[in-house]
Amino acid sequence: MTVTIFGFRGCPWCDKVKRLLDARGVEYETRDIELDETAREECEKISGDLAVPVTTIDGKNYVVGFDKKKIDELLASA
Amino acid sequence: MSIYDFTVKTNRGVEKSLADYKGKVLLIVNTASKCGFTPQFEELQALYKTYKDKGLEILGFPCNQFAAQDPGSNDEIQQFCKFNYGVTFQIFEKGDVRGETAQPLFKYLTAQKKFEGFDMHHPIGQKLLEALQTNFPEYLEGDGIKWNFTKFLIDREGNVVARFEPTTTPASIATDIEKLL
Repeated sequence: MTVTIFGFRGCPWCDKVKRLLDARGVEYETRDIELDETAREECEKISGDLAVPVTTIDGKNYVVGFDKKKIDELLASA
Repeated sequence: MSIYDFTVKTNRGVEKSLADYKGKVLLIVNTASKCGFTPQFEELQALYKTYKDKGLEILGFPCNQFAAQDPGSNDEIQQFCKFNYGVTFQIFEKGDVRGETAQPLFKYLTAQKKFEGFDMHHPIGQKLLEALQTNFPEYLEGDGIKWNFTKFLIDREGNVVARFEPTTTPASIATDIEKLL
């Protein structure tokens, strides 16, 4: 399972999601929607918006924002 | 001393003299961080699109001094950041805008145009006032910047002609801008 976090530098909520996944021992890759145009397009495709963090595993189910409960549910579903 | 005597840094770290904007109508704004509820960004961008060809420049100065607390969202803090890639007006380096550590430009602007109160007809007027009275009563003293999105309008000769508080929406100052263009 590969968890992807879309975010940008200086986004404190993105950092919180990363720390949460670190604490859960879950590996993830990060995509920067500010520097990487492809990542921006993908993020917008997934959630229809450019609000981040967006956490996703399959690119279909996703969680916007730092929402512990929903992120745990997402991880459990994988 | 005039507005054109100030030099500031863009968000890419490049020094920029405000004298480069001589002859333009300027709207100088202290902007919020990209996190939380910042609909004024979109309205500012709309103003810029409408008037840039007629000589309007919008200069945004991000500031963290008010970022942590967003009035009106105390019980429902938005835990995400919105990426404002649609903003095409000039954004400068992050810095302070109020108090002793304020950038000289903002000390100058607030000395030129005093604080004359919030517009209490604006939906956040009452909430903003209450939030400040409760959490930052010292912010209400004097003429310093009270909150994100305080706007200063500068005419083509560099005179600071108006100050609009956060409770005045960018859209509603379009007529004031038109008068100067």
